[in-house]
Amino acid sequence: MSRRRGAWIAGSMVALCVAILLADYIVASPKSTTAARLARKSRDNVVAWVLIAGAGAFLVCAKSAWGRVSYAPRAGRSSPQPPYQTVAGYQPAPPPAELDLAFIEEAIARLGRGKESTIPLLQAIQSHYRYLPDDALRRLCELTDITPAEIAGTSSFYARFRRSPAGEHIVRVCHGTACHVSGARQITDELRRYLAIPGGADTDPARRFTLDEVACLGCCSLAPVLMVDGRPAGKLTPASACAALRELS
Amino acid sequence: MSADVSRRDLLNTAARGTVLAVLGGGAGFLVTKANGQIVWQVDAARCINSRVGETGVPACNLCTTECVVALSAVRAVNDHARCGRCNMCPAYFKITSPVDSHGYPSEKLCPRDAILRRPIGRMDPEDPANNFYEYLIDEAKCDGCGKCVMQCKDPLGLGSITLRVRYDICKNCNRCAISTACPRNAVLELPRDQAI
Amino acid sequence: MKGKGWQFLACALLLLPWVRILPAQTVPYQRPVETAPQPDSIGGGYRIPVVQKPLPRAYWLQILDVALLAAAMGVSIWLVLARRSRKWLVGLSIASLAYFGFYREGCICPIGSIQNVTVALIDPKYSIPIVVTATFILPLVAALFFGRAFCGGVCALGAIQELVVIRPVQVPRRLDRALGLLKYVYLGLAIAYAVKPALIRNFLICRFDPFVGIFRRTGPPHMLIIGGLFLAAGMFVGRPYCRWLCPYGGLLAWCTRLARRGVTITPGPELDCGLCIDACPYGAIEKMRAVGRNCLYCARCYDSCPKHRQLVRIS
Repeated sequence: MSRRRGAWIAGSMVALCVAILLADYIVASPKSTTAARLARKSRDNVVAWVLIAGAGAFLVCAKSAWGRVSYAPRAGRSSPQPPYQTVAGYQPAPPPAELDLAFIEEAIARLGRGKESTIPLLQAIQSHYRYLPDDALRRLCELTDITPAEIAGTSSFYARFRRSPAGEHIVRVCHGTACHVSGARQITDELRRYLAIPGGADTDPARRFTLDEVACLGCCSLAPVLMVDGRPAGKLTPASACAALRELS
Repeated sequence: MSADVSRRDLLNTAARGTVLAVLGGGAGFLVTKANGQIVWQVDAARCINSRVGETGVPACNLCTTECVVALSAVRAVNDHARCGRCNMCPAYFKITSPVDSHGYPSEKLCPRDAILRRPIGRMDPEDPANNFYEYLIDEAKCDGCGKCVMQCKDPLGLGSITLRVRYDICKNCNRCAISTACPRNAVLELPRDQAI
Repeated sequence: MKGKGWQFLACALLLLPWVRILPAQTVPYQRPVETAPQPDSIGGGYRIPVVQKPLPRAYWLQILDVALLAAAMGVSIWLVLARRSRKWLVGLSIASLAYFGFYREGCICPIGSIQNVTVALIDPKYSIPIVVTATFILPLVAALFFGRAFCGGVCALGAIQELVVIRPVQVPRRLDRALGLLKYVYLGLAIAYAVKPALIRNFLICRFDPFVGIFRRTGPPHMLIIGGLFLAAGMFVGRPYCRWLCPYGGLLAWCTRLARRGVTITPGPELDCGLCIDACPYGAIEKMRAVGRNCLYCARCYDSCPKHRQLVRIS
């Protein structure tokens, strides 16, 4: 706001100087005696320099207030301080010791015991516990015909299945074509820094956000795009991506 | 395909070389045949103020008012070789003004008081009319109004003061504004080596 | 009886102004000498002083101007083609505006030199100094090899317009090209009026230069008003004088057609992503490539290029 006010102040100073110079020209006869001419010239010179300084100030303020921002995001823009402290020697919090496994029996009863039910069962477990806990999978093997090898193979093949706990909110950054050329890599890198996600993991230490790189989300004209729990935010810069996380979570 | 590209490159290079040659030829001509500076100068034979025969008219001050520089680049210059060094200089004193107690006119002609008068040579107190004085025009004050020029010519003076363009002030515009306004076309453009 | 006294007073009052203008004891003037007295008759060891002939601006300063022009163009070429940095180019623009604009007051400029060169070629009695020829030739030679480097950070008129661009709109291509023809009309008129005989010669470019009045902080009203209008419009339409009216820009555009190296927006192979198209305020990007003859060397396109950001990685 102060830039706008500065622009208005500088702009009115410029207008005032222009008015003074015009008045000087219209009111005083331009070809009067030499002494009057010299006095007018030195007066006009001072006013002209004030005008130029005011115009410079106006341009600086107006450019940052109303100037057209470049469309594509910039790498390396300064980002807000991460609210999550990076802890040295981070160890992920262990999953809760007690797991309520009653859901598994209910799911098996609903979806079946055979090998053909592998994927529906894994999907049900994942949507209930938000990941595939080892204990739950062990229980699944006990109660059904599915072998541990088949569960291992299926759950590791599909990217959607996760074996470590997810955060409260799933953040999906689009890395489709349009977002890629618009700097999705910079967005992801900045979010990883902002959330202090350690290398190799995809969830922040406080288990609030899980960062996921996904293929095209289908809003290419808003590139680059991210989704927080299914709610999209577009036309991002690294700074505004962090702000979007705070707003949408 | 590569033959097309190299042909286009060749044409491009040839065209560039041709244009360079034309530019170089033009520059060479200008540097050898048309090299020099053109300046503006006042022709004393045509200027109303200094031209013999135009008397009784007010001095033309267009040189003062038309110049784009605030204090005009045209200044009055006294040619000391021709100056009469008179006791009662008509360009220094306003001879139509009332006489003061010393016998000199009480008013000076120059509206900006730019003429300095100092006695020179042997001063004879009994014969004041034959004492000589040097009249020097302070160019920092002179604005080229031409009053002194008009007075210092036949029949009152020897015509030693003329209006001249001073090159350290003149911006050497392509088209001099004074020249456009001069009613006698007295401001002309001359090669530098011919201009005074 | 009463009336007679008043009549006498009235006549006296009426006569009073006439009494005042009668000269009171002025000098009856006679020229005392017929020729200038020489030092021997003056006596006292007097020497006749020599009339001063003040010199114009020192010659080495004029050479310096030409050298600075060449140096500034070299810096502009390096900044835009090699260093690819807009920040430094803005610095160069400000420096050029300060020196060539406000300090030298916009004179001599290559735009006006078109007229001088034309007259010198045609009129045998007219001549121009070498520095004016150099000022005319140097930007054209640079354009033959690199494009409109002069327009980039060197021309003071371009610099002042460049610095006021705040929120430019994209002018429709057809309108842009049609208006661009005006600069050739202006070029033709300027040459036609300059080659007239000496007394009626008219230097149009000098008379209607929009910004030299601002550089000198004075001038005839039409120049100042035109300049103010161009700057006000220039906040919303990028550099209208440079694109549509500058006669020297017309010559530079012709020379740029033959240039070998011009602005390439991407430092490496093209992505054809089209992100730069919105970035250019001067309509110099056609079909995702920079068009040399309209490119005014402003270096704004680099900031929007993803490949360029990789090149200038700031992590």
